[in-house]
Amino acid sequence: MLWNNRSASQTAAEYMKSIIRRYFGPGVVLIVFLAGWYALAYGLENNFSPASGTPMIIPPPHRLFEDIYGITRTKILIAFWISLKTSLVGLTLATSIGLVLGIVMAQARWLERALWPYLIALQVTPIIAIVPLMIKLVGSNFAARVLVTVIISIFPIISNTLFGLHSTPKNMHDLFTLQRSGPLARLLKLQLPAASPAIFGGLRISAGLAVIGAIVGDFFFAKGDPGLGKLITQFFLNSQAGPMFVTALAATLLGLMLFILFGLLNKRIVGRWYEGAISQ
Amino acid sequence: MNSTTPEHHAHRSGTPSISADGICLSFPDSTEVLRNISIEIGDHEFVSVVGPSGCGKSTLLRVLSGLQKPTSGQLNTPSNDVGFVFQDPTLLPWRTALRNVETLLELRGVNATDRRELAFNALSSVGLADSANKYPRQLSGGMKMRVSLARSLVTQPKLFLFDEPFAAVDEFAREQLNDDLLALFASAKFSAVFVTHSISEAVYLSQRVIIMSARPASIAHIIEIPFDYPRSPEIRYQPDFAKCCGTIARHLRQLQNI
Ligand SMILES: Nc1ncnc2c1ncn2[C@@H]1O[C@H](COP(=O)(O)OP(=O)(O)OP(=O)(O)O)[C@@H](O)[C@H]1O
Ligand SMILES: [Mg+2]
Repeated sequence: MLWNNRSASQTAAEYMKSIIRRYFGPGVVLIVFLAGWYALAYGLENNFSPASGTPMIIPPPHRLFEDIYGITRTKILIAFWISLKTSLVGLTLATSIGLVLGIVMAQARWLERALWPYLIALQVTPIIAIVPLMIKLVGSNFAARVLVTVIISIFPIISNTLFGLHSTPKNMHDLFTLQRSGPLARLLKLQLPAASPAIFGGLRISAGLAVIGAIVGDFFFAKGDPGLGKLITQFFLNSQAGPMFVTALAATLLGLMLFILFGLLNKRIVGRWYEGAISQ
Repeated sequence: MNSTTPEHHAHRSGTPSISADGICLSFPDSTEVLRNISIEIGDHEFVSVVGPSGCGKSTLLRVLSGLQKPTSGQLNTPSNDVGFVFQDPTLLPWRTALRNVETLLELRGVNATDRRELAFNALSSVGLADSANKYPRQLSGGMKMRVSLARSLVTQPKLFLFDEPFAAVDEFAREQLNDDLLALFASAKFSAVFVTHSISEAVYLSQRVIIMSARPASIAHIIEIPFDYPRSPEIRYQPDFAKCCGTIARHLRQLQNI
């Protein structure tokens, strides 16, 4: 920040203004959100147990963490770690497979046309329909949960890679054609760099979806250590509304973490040169 | 100064750097764009091409570069030695100015140290040594065009094709770029085909100005420009210069009134 040529108080005032401009909108939404939450918690009939007074359906915000200690806290932390692992492994696989499929499909129109309908089908098939098949093929384990994560998160990577590779400007291609470049040099030095903003955009969406995938996977494939999804079910069955909400919050946090991580990565790698808007 | 008919297209000296004979081109949608175009451009000759908008000038350059196959006709070009400067700079936005200039050498397999040095020299020759590490988005329109010029220059092409390279920069920058280009032309010994909408730019730069007819384009007139190189910016204000411009403008008006 430049302090010379200006009085410090003036600059400070401007700084305050920029802070207000930045946080005013989100602040208002947060207040409305919390107000709605309180209204729900205290407005719902039978939300609090008549005997002990503990919340049964939805705890008010200030009472969220009252049962989070000891074994409950450990359970949530472990589940967080396990879901993080599932989403990261799933996302890594989805990214690798998605990139390869996108690149392959970009090589020929007929390939693109041949594969596209099946990818759409995979995208819209309810996971529950293929649960028995997956249990038969891979079992009800970590691998199955990772597979669900891949299925749910792969689509944006494929479609954005494909779109990015296709959107390389024609005269940049001409530049390479004049040098008689082969398809590999073209892919590595022209198409992939040109596609990288689109690819990163897809990656960010997929990161959020991977967390959803890890949690959905927990609901269907229960063997092994419980992730956040399975823990939510457990707390639900025990009528532990507080821990259940905190676990859900942990899932939100996990999604947000990955989203921000890929946003930062995007900014570091693409932000230096890309002129389009890169939001955080 | 004299205006020759299209049949006399003698080149100036030595072997022609590029010769095209009876080039015709129709696109698959049956638009006929080029009709029977024959030109010879000598070694180290500078030729400009003007013509009505949409007549096929860019298409002609694409044919001369080999990017577009003609429907019929003969073409002799220095196969691997064509530099093409597009209408927009076409810089790779993820590469710095220096790395952009390196691109073509990289594609030709020149090793890293050599190409860095060659690229830096080329950037220096267009006056951009101190912007070597800037990304295209940090450069002005004129600077980008210079980088684009340096990028083609670095491969030392025998033949340079320019497609309205300075159309997007202001008058003052354009005159500066014209002088830079002539300086490069004097030192680097290439032949040039330069498409432009600016009559005075065509006259200032070239030894011959080819005037094309409206689509389907054929060569309507060839105007010889009598000034010797090196040319000083002052020649723009000489009566002979104005006469050349006047002749070309008259021809273009006639072509558009048909
Ligand atoms: N791929 C294509 N398919 C069909 N028609 C085309 C194609 N490319 C160009 N044309 C047509 O060929 C004609 C000549 O185009 P070209 O770009 O060569 O003109 P130009 O003289 O460079 O125009 P300008 O002065 O505006 O740059 C235009 O009428 C255009 O519509
Ligand atoms: Mg054009």
